[in-house]
Amino acid sequence: MTPGSTCAACVALFRRDLLLAWRRRGDIAMPVLYAVIVTTLFPFALGPDAALLSRIAGGVVLVTVLLAMLLSLDSLFRSDVEDGSLEQWMLAPQSLPLLLGAKLLAHWITSAVPLIVIAPVLASMLRFPTAAMPVLVAALLLATPLLSLLGGVLVALTAGSRRSGMLLALMLLPLCVPVVIFAAGAVAAAQDGLPFAAPIAWLGAALALALVLGPLACAAALRIAMDA
Amino acid sequence: MGRMCAADSANALIEALALSFTRQDEQVFGPLDFALHAGDIALIEGDNGSGKTTLMRILTGMLHTDEGELRFDGQPYTRDATAGHVVFLGHHLGLKSDLSARENLRFAQGLYGARPGSDIVTALAAVGLAGYEDEPVRRLSAGQKKRAALARLLILPARVWLLDEPYANLDREGIALVNTLLASHAARGGAALVTSHGAVAFAGDEPRRIRIHP
Repeated sequence: MTPGSTCAACVALFRRDLLLAWRRRGDIAMPVLYAVIVTTLFPFALGPDAALLSRIAGGVVLVTVLLAMLLSLDSLFRSDVEDGSLEQWMLAPQSLPLLLGAKLLAHWITSAVPLIVIAPVLASMLRFPTAAMPVLVAALLLATPLLSLLGGVLVALTAGSRRSGMLLALMLLPLCVPVVIFAAGAVAAAQDGLPFAAPIAWLGAALALALVLGPLACAAALRIAMDA
Repeated sequence: MGRMCAADSANALIEALALSFTRQDEQVFGPLDFALHAGDIALIEGDNGSGKTTLMRILTGMLHTDEGELRFDGQPYTRDATAGHVVFLGHHLGLKSDLSARENLRFAQGLYGARPGSDIVTALAAVGLAGYEDEPVRRLSAGQKKRAALARLLILPARVWLLDEPYANLDREGIALVNTLLASHAARGGAALVTSHGAVAFAGDEPRRIRIHP
């Protein structure tokens, strides 16, 4: 792999982001901590009714994990904008969509994977039936990268502006809704012993579409955001 | 280094004709004419707020303007034409503070490719950072950070250097270092545009000056 090839550039950016995340491990722990705290509070607020908790467990875990992801989404490009690294890798003679794909993958690994790992623990805490656990994990494995890609486009659009958090949340809400509906639909169906393949397939289809179009849209959005 | 006008513009690396930039109906700079050939070092002078950084951002290709004409090596100034030939050093140095200078430079090489015969450790020694290779950039002083960013110029293959205020934060030795780097880059057939708001003592040759009027 020669330095300067597209492949080497993507690997370099991917490695750099993972290394940076590792150097700032506390930042990774924050969304995980948030998810743990929120799910722990639910039984206290609703009472220890096992039937009720087990019915809402899937939805609670899904929404908590997706919200926890949004916490870190806002900072996707922030540090790179602030220290000028963004300009450096945008000017590189490489395909920007592929670089962004590598960056979003690194972001997904550092922000979503820890959440997916603890999701079964959180779900069992709420007496989520073990039989449906694989479906919950599968739904998260499809829904979180989808959210990363959709969010990445919106974050790129607002990359130049300060205090974009509010705007981002407003724009992201309508995109989150279908993701949550299909993911929760699959989990609820699995819990009731109904077929859950259809909503999972919908999530997979949306993810396939987003994998192709997301980085392209993200690159275009970033160029627009920087051209001001 | 003596070509003064755009008349002999054959194979000029960067050529600007009546280039100007307007932001919200207010002219930031221009119209500006200049040509930068291989081996040229040009100093862009202007007061604070005269549009030096805006001009630099246009030359990197990040910012677009429809006023005037801009050419790169005879081609229209597009991303494809400039990709890999231009390296930019701005106010924000583009160094990650949690990574060491060596890791930062290795990342830059991954993106842009390595200049043949260049080496990260040698480049860092050349800018006076020997012994600081593995120190996180966060722990370096402002001047040392600047030097680490200058080392990036030495390891990348780009022919055109766009340096926005490279003298800021540097001591006299550092300023001499920038001049040495520029001189050897010009001798190798590279070209550089350098902005400065103050008087700069160039070593040896008097550089060409491009004056921006707000």
